[in-house]
Amino acid sequence: MSSYIALFGNPNTGKTSLFNNLTGSYEYVGNWSGVTVEKKVGILRQHGVPIVDLPGIYSLQPLSRDEGVATDFLLTEPCSAIVNIVDASQLRRNLHLTVQLLEFGKPLIVALNMVDVAEKRGVKVDAEKLSRCIGAPVVPVIARTGKGTKELVRAILSLSEQSGEREHVAIDYGQDVEAAVQKISEQLPDDLLASKRWLALQFLEGNERIHAYLQTYMDIAPLVAVRDEAQQALGRPLAEHIYDARDKWIVHAIETSTVIFQQKPLTLTEKIDAVVTNKYLGLPIFLTFMYIMFMLTFDWLGSPLADLLDQFFSGPLTEWLSKLLTLVGASPFIQALVLDGIVSGVGGVLVFVPQIFILFFFISLLEDSGYMARVAMVMDRFMEAIGLNGKAFIPMIIGFGCNVPGVMAARTIEQPKERLLTILLLPFMSCSARLPVYALFAGTFFAKNQAIVVFSLYVLGIVVALGLAKLFSSTLLKNESSIFVIELPPYRMPQALTLWRSTWDKGKGFVRKAGTFIFGGSVAIWLLTYVGPKGIGVSMDDSFLAVIGGVLAPILAPLGFGTWQAGASLITGFLAKEVVVSTMNIIYHAKDMDLLQGAITQHFTPLSALSFMVFVLLYIPCLATVATIRKEAGSRKWTLISIGCALTIAYTISFLIYEGGKLFGY
Amino acid sequence: MVLTDLRQGQKAVITNLAITNEVVKQRLLHMGMHEGEKVCVKCVMPFGGPVMVEVDGQYICLRRKEAACIGVR
Repeated sequence: MSSYIALFGNPNTGKTSLFNNLTGSYEYVGNWSGVTVEKKVGILRQHGVPIVDLPGIYSLQPLSRDEGVATDFLLTEPCSAIVNIVDASQLRRNLHLTVQLLEFGKPLIVALNMVDVAEKRGVKVDAEKLSRCIGAPVVPVIARTGKGTKELVRAILSLSEQSGEREHVAIDYGQDVEAAVQKISEQLPDDLLASKRWLALQFLEGNERIHAYLQTYMDIAPLVAVRDEAQQALGRPLAEHIYDARDKWIVHAIETSTVIFQQKPLTLTEKIDAVVTNKYLGLPIFLTFMYIMFMLTFDWLGSPLADLLDQFFSGPLTEWLSKLLTLVGASPFIQALVLDGIVSGVGGVLVFVPQIFILFFFISLLEDSGYMARVAMVMDRFMEAIGLNGKAFIPMIIGFGCNVPGVMAARTIEQPKERLLTILLLPFMSCSARLPVYALFAGTFFAKNQAIVVFSLYVLGIVVALGLAKLFSSTLLKNESSIFVIELPPYRMPQALTLWRSTWDKGKGFVRKAGTFIFGGSVAIWLLTYVGPKGIGVSMDDSFLAVIGGVLAPILAPLGFGTWQAGASLITGFLAKEVVVSTMNIIYHAKDMDLLQGAITQHFTPLSALSFMVFVLLYIPCLATVATIRKEAGSRKWTLISIGCALTIAYTISFLIYEGGKLFGY
Repeated sequence: MVLTDLRQGQKAVITNLAITNEVVKQRLLHMGMHEGEKVCVKCVMPFGGPVMVEVDGQYICLRRKEAACIGVR
């Protein structure tokens, strides 16, 4: 097994930016705490050394799932050196982690990040002096621009070459604690990866993760006795005592190495916050932002672009392809497969790329500016009422892009109950894959009010999710309190390059899916329409797809779309929701959006179209989301509950809309 | 006096953190909310929503319930 260089640091100090600079990868970055929730491995550029990016932590004592990933890494994975990224403008808080990492005993380099930000705030850190104080190399960097990366690489390489003994800077915790450390160290087995002093100190401090870890190796009772004894001798909680000793050491290090030439508050951040987190304006501003996002995506900018792309696919592209196929002498079967299957299926989804990119651009803007954490704050009161906390709103916004990273992002929520609830309600967040379905149906039946109709669907998803959260938190999961503490990062002007990368990164998943999954799906679906129980080349209504979809048709009839076509596209939509549109394109033999819209007006009324959109919004999480929920919730029961709830709620609401609408004469 | 007694823009020194929920207390300690630190209330959300405070250049948002357990002077 190769030995890693591990990146540790407080949340939102630029670990992932630095990781991207060091490895040349484009991992997901953002300006709020908890962007990285899982460890990521990369290779140091040109040097072939594996580097691991870890979730941000304040201390090695994990309070949430993502933080546990970082502590577990130290306990279970071999690492040859640690790069500790430290925010120069928040030295005191950051160095508390550094101390714990130094005690871990592995060679360590401090990457002193945001020296530019610190200087703007009137703080100048002397890297030389700081290095001497803490007994580890300190390299100033600016992770956002990549400045200092070369020097850091050099320091990393020279460190891993030495790999020998490092001068230990040990903090003296006083007689009582040191005696306890000694006693515990003597009892620890010799074959553990981590240093004994570090384990002993973490145990004394009350780190539950370490407690559980030691328990698997030995009888913990004598250690607990040592801890209680030390606490008694001190006459105060051990954790406090240890914290104070560290703090004293840190304050000394800062005093020796840092010049504060001017105390400047964060004027820009304060000015922006005075408006966006204003008591009365906070919520309206957030809703306005969302409204503008939807108008741009579905009305002002997205739809015209999608139309242009559609004209290209149905016009020139199809012509070229059909000429090319005739030229190479392709059989009619192949011609039909390519033109009716692949072009319709894949093209029908790719048409929506502009709209999806606009949506992703706005989500990236939210993430990168620092507004994300404020949204959590503005929404907290509301979320509290339904038994959740504001932090749960962040995964929900991410879920608008794609539910899978949304479910992952729930890891930052501390309370297990709130985390499980957030995971369960995420599938109701309307992800970008559902967007093509809305764009198609709303564009056909509600062309004038498209944005409003789609906006209401998103709102409906949120309302259902929150209603469900309320229901669960007051019944099945009511024995746990809800908590909320969040760090609000300073605002940053989003950089064009970062924004583009972040948007592209999310969008390319959609494009790639079109090239692989939907490509394969389109071929399969077309084949199912081409062959039937009676043979090959049958008419569509006698095909296998019609048989499969026909099973569902009677069940769906009360919802207003009891056709085999609707049934078949809903079944295939479980793979990925945009496949609903691919399937319809193929079934209705539509080469472009106009033809498809024409076809669906014959099979749907505005009311049944609305009912269908609602059903697609709610009916089932897609395959990838189900797999992620299963993994993150760690429970088959809750995964099945999630699917069951979705189906029941979708059926009920669509039923009410359709049958209710009919009563009112629509 | 407790943190929630402060008005927007007012500053004080933290005298004790009597928060019962251990996770919240640890989080606040990790973020730099300690006895003896200066704290400034930046904004208060309506309908009993959370408060935003600044400690040592760090902006932290916490619920009013917990803020009411933080003694200040």
